[in-house]
Amino acid sequence: MNSTSNDNDNIGYVCSALQCERGLGKKTAMRWIDAHGVKTNYNFSDLENQSNRFSNAISSLGIDAGNVVFTFLPKMPEQFFAFLGILKTRAVCGTLFSNFGEDALLDRLGDSGAVGIITRKSLYKKVSRIRDKLPALKHVILVDGDDDPATGVISYSRIMAEASSEYQVLPTSPDTPSVLHYTSGSTGKPKGVLHRHGSLASQMATTQDVLGLKEDDIYWCTADQGWVTGTSYGIIGPWSLGVTQVHYGGGYDAQRWMDLLAQEKITVWYSAPTALRMLMREEETIFTSADLSSLRSIYSVGEPLNPEVISWSRRVLKHDIYDTWFQTETGAIMITNRPGLEIRPGSMGKPFEGIEPAILADDGTPLPDGEQGNLCVKTGWPSMFITYLNNESAYSSKFRNGWYYTGDTARRDDDGYYWFMGRSDDVINTAGHLISPFEVESALLEVAEVAESGVIGAPDELLFEKVVAFVNLHEGHQPTKELEIKIRLHVSNRASSIATPQEIIFCDSIPKNKSGKIMRRVLKARYLGEDPGDISTLEI
Amino acid sequence: MTTIDKLNDIFRMVFDDDTIQIHSGMTANDVDGWDSLSHVNLITTIEATFNIRFTQKELLTQRNVGELIAGIDRKLTA
Repeated sequence: MNSTSNDNDNIGYVCSALQCERGLGKKTAMRWIDAHGVKTNYNFSDLENQSNRFSNAISSLGIDAGNVVFTFLPKMPEQFFAFLGILKTRAVCGTLFSNFGEDALLDRLGDSGAVGIITRKSLYKKVSRIRDKLPALKHVILVDGDDDPATGVISYSRIMAEASSEYQVLPTSPDTPSVLHYTSGSTGKPKGVLHRHGSLASQMATTQDVLGLKEDDIYWCTADQGWVTGTSYGIIGPWSLGVTQVHYGGGYDAQRWMDLLAQEKITVWYSAPTALRMLMREEETIFTSADLSSLRSIYSVGEPLNPEVISWSRRVLKHDIYDTWFQTETGAIMITNRPGLEIRPGSMGKPFEGIEPAILADDGTPLPDGEQGNLCVKTGWPSMFITYLNNESAYSSKFRNGWYYTGDTARRDDDGYYWFMGRSDDVINTAGHLISPFEVESALLEVAEVAESGVIGAPDELLFEKVVAFVNLHEGHQPTKELEIKIRLHVSNRASSIATPQEIIFCDSIPKNKSGKIMRRVLKARYLGEDPGDISTLEI
Repeated sequence: MTTIDKLNDIFRMVFDDDTIQIHSGMTANDVDGWDSLSHVNLITTIEATFNIRFTQKELLTQRNVGELIAGIDRKLTA
């Protein structure tokens, strides 16, 4: 079933041309269902032709191997054609979540030196406001716009119509850079996690052996292509194996989702805990009346899956949910539950074949089973990220003595199951997305009334963690409902909707140490009503 | 200013898009960025602007802009 045997490891090639060579040209690659329910089938030949056209189109603009080109689109067919087309040229494809605001866009487009972006008019407005700060960004391709030479805006329709559907993908070594996703750390700007075409080996293997996809499956991954799950398992894994995917352009809607599972006869469904917890809050008749007889397996990724969700799924959906664990940096599933392995609800499961995790103390000493420590992975798996773009020191800091330090803490039980315990830094995991408190604090400080701020993650039943902002106002300003809304909207529009504080707490000061570092653990303890521990270095 | 005009301004502010023109049949699928988290921003802003408060049940039954407007008008005349 899986093959990259013709010595071309190019992800774009494997996901389209190779499938046609395997005789799957007429097989449906993507059943596209738009937000209003209109269906369009694209077979692997369509995928090949459309991505080839995009490769030729951007090549004609002078975009070449090593250049960075971003997609900034909601889920839509053009996103998939562009993704594969960019990779075929051996340029790097970055993907941007369509709810990113100007600050988030500037960080990512600026740091990467992106030369091109494909987007649509409604989203381009955000890019146009920062375009003068992006001197490298020469080409803006609009899927729904006309040419405007004065601003370097290019019509997707025109360049695709003019481009040939034939494109020769040059031999691509496994070490050739491929996909770029930005991820948040507890300090500084987001870091560009760069992957390589060789990541395909991990993505294919896990798609086959964890998700269990077979050629006659109908598969649905709800993740947005702006995140690693959306590319590794919403594009690369299934198409590299010739599997039909359903992609839906609408948002969360319990009834619509159940209808999709039933009507499209989806066999394998990959979603996220927050979505599953939202489903749990709906009327049970939505699920009990749905025909889920085609559904074989449900998987989840993003943040730990609570035992209650698994229990609910067993009772209402009549299926287990297999929780999987990986990170943007790991590129593919590392530790996982899967069919054939007894589920211990709440556990991450066991390592995937060939993956060697360990629980290490801060000094690198292996910890005995049952003890909590740093979750590390032995380096060398195929989808291991190759660098943080322009930040080699941050990259190096993640590795010690042949181990990758994930930033997560965990424990292993006597039977070899891993259990997520938390983060070893201040990064907030909200609805499966990592949010940097620093980024939110920076956005908050842009609000004229805000003097200082400190941001933490706090437990939340739906989101796993919610963003909580402590805000100290300048003298003369009082907390009001209007100001709270202004602050919320500012963060939402400058950073992203997922970074928006769910709770804003106005206070008289933000605790800092003598060097001015915000002491988030003190804020967190204050919020949770716990002992803040050692506060001897507290300045305020 | 009518409810729909006021609401249109709110949409433009919440979704940072001054070209949005709302209509009664519009749903979250028609507006870039209208996800579950920005929906919280939308409702919070509506409640503060109109000085009303929606119940959880009311929020669950509002499936498009028309129903949202009707919900606001009901609150304002109650």
